[in-house]
Amino acid sequence: MVNTNTSALGIIFPNSYDSLVPDLVSERLMASIPFAGRYRMVDFLLSSMVNSGIDNISIIVRKNYHSLMDHLGSGREWDLTRKNGGLNIFPPYSEKNVKIYSGRVEAVASILDFLKNQKEKYVILSDTHIAANFDFHRMLEEHIESGADVSIAYKKEEIPAGFKNIQVSKGDLYYTLLVKDSRVKRIFINSPEPGIQNVSMNIYIMNREFLMEQVTGAYARGYIYFERDILAPRLEKLHVHAYEFQGYTARVSDMKSYFDENMKLLDDANLDGLFAPSPVYTKIRDDNPTRYINGATAKNVMVADGCVIEGNLENCVLSRGVKVGKGATVKNCVLMQDTVIEDGADVEYLITDKNVTISAGKTLKGTDTFPIYVAKGQVV
Amino acid sequence: MAKEMIAMLLAGGQGSRLYALTQKLAKPAVPFGGKYRIIDFPLSNCVNSGIDTVGILTQYQPMVLNEYIGNGQPWDLDRLYGGVHVLPPYQQASGSDWYKGTANAIYQNISFIERYNPQYVIILSGDQICKQDYSDFLRFHKEKGAEFSVAVMEVPWEEAPRFGLMVADETDRITEFQEKPKHPKSNLASMGIYIFNWDILKKYLVEDEADPNSENDFGNNIIPNLLRDNRSMYAYRFSGYWKDVGTISSLWEANMEVLDPEHSGINLFDDEWKIYSRNSGMPGHKISPEAVIENSMVTDGCRISGSVKHSILFAGVRVEAGAEVEDAVVMGGSVIKSGAVVKHCIIAENVVVGENAIVGAMPADGEKGVATVGSGVYIGDGAKIGPNAMVNNNVKDGDVQW
Repeated sequence: MVNTNTSALGIIFPNSYDSLVPDLVSERLMASIPFAGRYRMVDFLLSSMVNSGIDNISIIVRKNYHSLMDHLGSGREWDLTRKNGGLNIFPPYSEKNVKIYSGRVEAVASILDFLKNQKEKYVILSDTHIAANFDFHRMLEEHIESGADVSIAYKKEEIPAGFKNIQVSKGDLYYTLLVKDSRVKRIFINSPEPGIQNVSMNIYIMNREFLMEQVTGAYARGYIYFERDILAPRLEKLHVHAYEFQGYTARVSDMKSYFDENMKLLDDANLDGLFAPSPVYTKIRDDNPTRYINGATAKNVMVADGCVIEGNLENCVLSRGVKVGKGATVKNCVLMQDTVIEDGADVEYLITDKNVTISAGKTLKGTDTFPIYVAKGQVV
Repeated sequence: MAKEMIAMLLAGGQGSRLYALTQKLAKPAVPFGGKYRIIDFPLSNCVNSGIDTVGILTQYQPMVLNEYIGNGQPWDLDRLYGGVHVLPPYQQASGSDWYKGTANAIYQNISFIERYNPQYVIILSGDQICKQDYSDFLRFHKEKGAEFSVAVMEVPWEEAPRFGLMVADETDRITEFQEKPKHPKSNLASMGIYIFNWDILKKYLVEDEADPNSENDFGNNIIPNLLRDNRSMYAYRFSGYWKDVGTISSLWEANMEVLDPEHSGINLFDDEWKIYSRNSGMPGHKISPEAVIENSMVTDGCRISGSVKHSILFAGVRVEAGAEVEDAVVMGGSVIKSGAVVKHCIIAENVVVGENAIVGAMPADGEKGVATVGSGVYIGDGAKIGPNAMVNNNVKDGDVQW
């Protein structure tokens, strides 16, 4: 057989850490949060999987998933319109139990029948709160070589500030790892430890049958969390391999980090880290190129197609179809698609959601540490 | 099920007057307006007018065009029944032939058209920039009870001798056709866009093919024959933006007009009549702190550190610090290195303009030349390309070309 397709399927949890960015997910979920101008968070993961030869990807949605369905369509833009495999979206399965899943165990349990009928030997599980250009093929090779039961990808970094506000009651946990000789010795849950830690990226690889077996057993016992209930207590018995990811990551853990991670992309080194080596795909909108009209100025900005700029831009990330009127000043802002900044408005440290309008002449200024967020469709 | 109207798009033209730009690709595949290719305009017009079946007749350097069209998905023309089909000349039991003329190209594809059994066929040309509603044209054709209609533009009388002209009466019925006449009797120029009743078109194509003296051309043969037989022929007046971009200067000019939609009439920013294209898929463009950008159009993937004025940059263009770009059309993937000066010119795809090199010049002393650099060319550091130059081969460091 031609060795093009990795023998792994992908399972994506698009709602993980929704509770950390309540404003951004009021009408969507983590996976469909707009990021880096023209993209959504899920684009980075889907593209990384597809570019690693994975073409059977399931997304187990929990709630607020209409925007995600709209974004993904049939999966064509990610080359996932396949006869075998392709993109599957699993809505909550309300027939058997009306309850919406909270942890990975419950989520995977709801698709066990599907998993049983797949052919891939391995599964890759991932959240969508990290944007990265991730080579899953490499991780899979290392996983196979290590002979481990499970591999976990982690990054050496400080615990993201947003994780410190995590609400266990909402079902969001984060994990740090004690690693020795590439083996996970301990999994700490919601550890407040300062300094550089081995922070889990919540990306896992394991044998498909192993996952099914573990989840079947755990679900029967009423367990919820894969990490807390299956892995952490059994690190003596299970061989859990630690895979260090050294590439660029943008992790959304609260509104501040959302703003900062967008801004960081104004540095070419970071932008290249996120968009290389493999391309990142997203929904096509067929916008025209962006137009800078006489009188416009722009310094240190990233702007997607379809914008019309007549005012002054500095240190901004603009998504598609943004309009900035004559004499408007826009500094240190993240503007999502189709935002309109009318003539003469003066804004700074602003995050505008989709279809926001800032009226002519208005002044609106947040600060470096506390950017102002304007919700979808609002007129200010 | 029969289709009411299908489109046949003539895309075989070599576009020899575009020289450097059409060495490796057919004219309809020439990039335009920041992210489009010329053929996006007729294809998008078709879809926006409700035509879902398009045959594209190719002949010259079809590779880029074939790859670009693919299955037609970017134009929503991937259909179970119909959709877009690229139709190159092919071998037949009775021998094979290149397309001898525009009419012959359609003649050789009669069997393609018959699969859809259409009532009407619209013949389009792949080398014009124009936003046109073909459904309105068809409505006119039906209202007049025409067997043949041609879209015409009113042109200034002094320019009329450059065109094929339709002389029409007060009901728009065509009474005479003049091909580039010295003494024009009309100023209605043919746009080369025709609607035929299919039965009539087929009859005349077969007849034309049987005539050994025919050039097998619509303008020179088919239309005169229709007139000879006193067929019901009408001229449909079109008044929007229309530009034949057959020359370097007209292509450059049309691109510059895109920058000024308020006056030129070519508006690519119209949500009601989108022009579709195959997208680059690159991240948004970046403008660095030291860059200057004025009155320009910039596409995804560009990185600008130099100065860009009144120019169009296609996807993935890089303008390094200290470089100057003005009144220029810079196509996808090209790099303008630091200190280079690029003015009043067309730079094709994947060109590298070396450090401190100079390409083109702003018009002075009646010199209006548009310097042109063909795709993939490397212009060496410090080289100088004059305002009338056409460059198709790499230029060494410090060389001068006029």
